[in-house]
Amino acid sequence: MHMSDNAIISVTDLHKWFGMLHVLKGISFSVQPKEVLVIIGRSGSGKSTLLRCLNFLEEPSSGTINVAGQSVVTGPGIRLNHQKVVALRLNTGMVFQEFNLFPHMTVLENVIEGLCTVKRMPKDKAIPIGEKYLEKVGMMDKRDVHPIRLSGGQKQRVAIARALAMEPKVMLFDEPTSALDPELIGEVLDVMKKLAYEGTTMVVVTHEMAFACDVADRIIYIDHGLIVEDGVPDQLFSNPQDERTRQFLEPIRKTHKF
Amino acid sequence: MAVDSLNFPAKPPADPNLDMGLALVAQQRKERLIQTVKIGVVWVGLIIFLIALLLQFNFDPAYVFAHYRFVLEGMLITIGISMASIAAATVLALLGALGRLSHNPIAQGVSGFYVSLVRGTPLLIQIYIIYLGLPQIGSTLNSMGYSEIGRLFTLTAVQSGILALSLNYGAYMTEIFRAGIQSIGHGQREAAESIGMSRWQIMRRVILPQAVRVIIPDIGNQFIAMQKDSAQVSVMGIWEMTYRANRFARQDSKFMEMFVVAAAFYWLLTIVSSWLEGMLERRMAHAYER
Repeated sequence: MHMSDNAIISVTDLHKWFGMLHVLKGISFSVQPKEVLVIIGRSGSGKSTLLRCLNFLEEPSSGTINVAGQSVVTGPGIRLNHQKVVALRLNTGMVFQEFNLFPHMTVLENVIEGLCTVKRMPKDKAIPIGEKYLEKVGMMDKRDVHPIRLSGGQKQRVAIARALAMEPKVMLFDEPTSALDPELIGEVLDVMKKLAYEGTTMVVVTHEMAFACDVADRIIYIDHGLIVEDGVPDQLFSNPQDERTRQFLEPIRKTHKF
Repeated sequence: MAVDSLNFPAKPPADPNLDMGLALVAQQRKERLIQTVKIGVVWVGLIIFLIALLLQFNFDPAYVFAHYRFVLEGMLITIGISMASIAAATVLALLGALGRLSHNPIAQGVSGFYVSLVRGTPLLIQIYIIYLGLPQIGSTLNSMGYSEIGRLFTLTAVQSGILALSLNYGAYMTEIFRAGIQSIGHGQREAAESIGMSRWQIMRRVILPQAVRVIIPDIGNQFIAMQKDSAQVSVMGIWEMTYRANRFARQDSKFMEMFVVAAAFYWLLTIVSSWLEGMLERRMAHAYER
């Protein structure tokens, strides 16, 4: 494991139970600043749950999560400290599979909502910041329309701008292209690539293996709630150490050259 | 590999055949207008039929023309009581719904008890208890020496009516608000949480604005029902439309005349209300139009 003192995310012995279902069975890993970590695994392996635990959309059953110095300890009998959770969430930006834009707000209002409501920034100061990030994802021309008028790819780009506007230390992506029509996936992946090359720290759960191969600094393969493989893309794709990883990657290895 | 410029899909070229589209839209609009006019003719026909039917059976239109103003003067009281009650009921319903959805056992227990008790008893009984029953508590408190508090238990007829209607409709509307709040997808809450919003901020900025749009038609329905249920406050001698109609109906045995007049005014009132509600609904739909 790449444990070190300057890690921006570190997760220690993370467990998650849903009722009697043990979804995460003791996961530890860390992410360095500017690193792009891609998490892959089969459906139901726990990869989305892991990502959602990082900003407490799911409350871990036990374990410690530290993001940018804000540490939250969870476990049976430990009462969750909501102030710490909110502080941790301000260090993380989240992009959802289903976009989850606020339908009653315009594109720009979506992007500046967190600045105005959470950071209590006056609107005239928030708008330039919102516009800056809309520019970055190429959505400035839609700043005053409501989300219903956008395509899936456009919605996801606005959702990325909304997360970026809070200027988090880490960006989390939960299958950001899985709900998109094939021809719309590219525009979202382009934005994510741009962020990666600009040095954004990113944790990405995805099925886009080509993206993982091109952009990831490191890939984690999760199976049945455990990390079974952790390495650089070349090594993982060309020579997976674990038999389960080998099986999972087999179809991709047939169509791609590594 | 570097990403220098992003290639987002270009805009499609302008359509040279826009005229055809405009003609189709105009055609559809014309057909819709014709349909509306036809339906209107049916309505007018039915009203004429009903009036003609009444006139066949010893109905006295002269009496109606002589006394309709007296009933109409009660409309302001009906409107006033309904508006005050729907406003108070909305506040009660919001609190009730937040209570029902809260994890706090006291909040959950109190709101569940309130809904069950009030929905389980007739409005008329509630009016009697508040208007006639509460002063009994007041006078007991008075005799115990707490006259300051005791006085609060003796309400005027109008106060009792508004209190009873708000309590009653607040209970029904609690369920409407609860369903409306629950109808907003979980993703909305998660997105708001992920940008660090607090529970109260999420409710106020994200959930309620969307829930209100969903429940506006139901609130409108309740408002219309309340305007008619407000007739029940006439038992306390409030001079609203039903009471006024009743007075002359009994005095001159002109039951059909006076109650048809009152019914017509209630109907008119609800037609205007549902038209206003429709306008509000359309205004709130703005963000959801493609």
